[in-house]
Amino acid sequence: MNRLLLILWSLGPMLWQLYTSFRPNAALTGNPLQGGWTLEHYQSLLEGNPPFWRYLLNSGVVGLSSTLLTLVVAVPCAYGLSRLGRKTARSVNVLVAVAAAFPYVLLFLALLQVARDLHLGNNLLALSLPYTGLSLPLAILLLQASFRDIPPELEEAARLEGLGLWQRLRWVLLPLMAPAIASASLLIFLFCWNEYPIALTWLSRADLLTLAPAMARIAGSSVFTVPYGGFAAATVLGSIPLILLVLLFQRQIVSGLTQGAIKG
Amino acid sequence: MAPALLLLLAVFALPMVQYAWLSTQAQTVLTGLEPQPVGLAQWQRLLQDGRFWQDAFQTLRFGLCSVGLELVLGLAVALLLNQPLRGRTLLRTVSLLPWALPTTVMALGWRWIFNDPFGPINLLLAQLGLPTVSFLGDPSITWLSMVWADTWKTTPFVALLLLAGLQTIPADLYEAAALEGANRWQSLRRITLPLLSPYILIAVLFRLAQALGLFDLVQVLTAGGPAGSTESLALYAYINAMRFLDFGYSATLMLAAFLLMLLLSGGAVLLWLLSRPRLAGGQR
Repeated sequence: MNRLLLILWSLGPMLWQLYTSFRPNAALTGNPLQGGWTLEHYQSLLEGNPPFWRYLLNSGVVGLSSTLLTLVVAVPCAYGLSRLGRKTARSVNVLVAVAAAFPYVLLFLALLQVARDLHLGNNLLALSLPYTGLSLPLAILLLQASFRDIPPELEEAARLEGLGLWQRLRWVLLPLMAPAIASASLLIFLFCWNEYPIALTWLSRADLLTLAPAMARIAGSSVFTVPYGGFAAATVLGSIPLILLVLLFQRQIVSGLTQGAIKG
Repeated sequence: MAPALLLLLAVFALPMVQYAWLSTQAQTVLTGLEPQPVGLAQWQRLLQDGRFWQDAFQTLRFGLCSVGLELVLGLAVALLLNQPLRGRTLLRTVSLLPWALPTTVMALGWRWIFNDPFGPINLLLAQLGLPTVSFLGDPSITWLSMVWADTWKTTPFVALLLLAGLQTIPADLYEAAALEGANRWQSLRRITLPLLSPYILIAVLFRLAQALGLFDLVQVLTAGGPAGSTESLALYAYINAMRFLDFGYSATLMLAAFLLMLLLSGGAVLLWLLSRPRLAGGQR
């Protein structure tokens, strides 16, 4: 019973969107059981200018490039912190945790200034710069915890075998950290995919919009008529990639989420 | 290590310094968008700005209510998921979905669900012969609709965090309590809550900070309306910068929101520290 309630609470709103997305607009204001079905909402989204998949593609590009960049920057930092004394690392970590919880929307004005000064607006790859900065705290906390879980003897042995720092990282440490890296990557990707205020202010060209600002633009596009069928189809298409991600990687996401919060 | 820490400073600390400086400047269309020093005039203006106080109140109200609700529901979900049930993984996956979706996507969804009179909730109310509710059109109700949508989205996060905490509590504590004749309510109060309190604190701190930065949801769901009754501090700061091109005042607002958040987080930590001896006493 409780389980059913939980499922209904979680999925109900999404299922209603799915249902609405197949209904003709005229039927939305009538009896919910009559009025037939249609694919026109999906058709007009996919034939729109730019077509809807373009937003998904943009979000994917920004998500992937930001995730990669974050890992490249965060791995050495996490390694360094994990080799510091507990006490020093602890005080750095408190600051990193504060940054991780920071309501980053408050940063948008300063970041926008950076974009203007350096002409980084309307550039998907440039958008990965602020995203990397914003994702770093979580990545550092997660990866650092994982570095600490590896027994120091293992790295010591590799060092005695004559492996340099880079080789030790590449062949000994990182393979052992695969689960943590997977968790961190997924959470960073999710963050970038969903991020709104920075994307909203950094991107203005319609064909470069990522999903979140595109969604807001669709929401604001119709002042007089309210085409909820089209809205619903957009929410469905916008949700599918993430639903797949959650279905496939539920375990890694959950472990990253809880580890990140607790280690921090 | 250095590049990462420098980037962190650049992204998180530098903006605050910049805001502190910008809040002593006037930078508007009137000044040709060039900063001009005005001393503390922006802060004076802030203190006398009724809209700021209203938004601060609304943001706080939203934050406290939604975080409170998420804690209660999150604990309930966590307790449910902690039981050895069939299909627990599936349940966990399903309950995680709302959290993973972009806020703007589901905010648009909720706009339709809250529709009066054609949204499903109002259809249901009408079927039952009840009057429909103007979820998004009535200033005294709309903020609650927003709390509802936020609770739907973030309860999974709180639940998973608390679930991780629950899994650290040894089962024999409950067995011992049961042998002593404690009922479920007593063992929840005397064992679960005290041992869970660090996790609750983390969840509260994290969620409170995020809720005070309320922006995505309000912008897409209500755009601050009706009659400004759901406008948040972040949205007001955004409007000042992007619509009024009043950058000095926008920076002042953001700094004020940041200080408010620090104050509240400090309060939460203090509350936890004060309640710790009492909770620890409850363990015995």
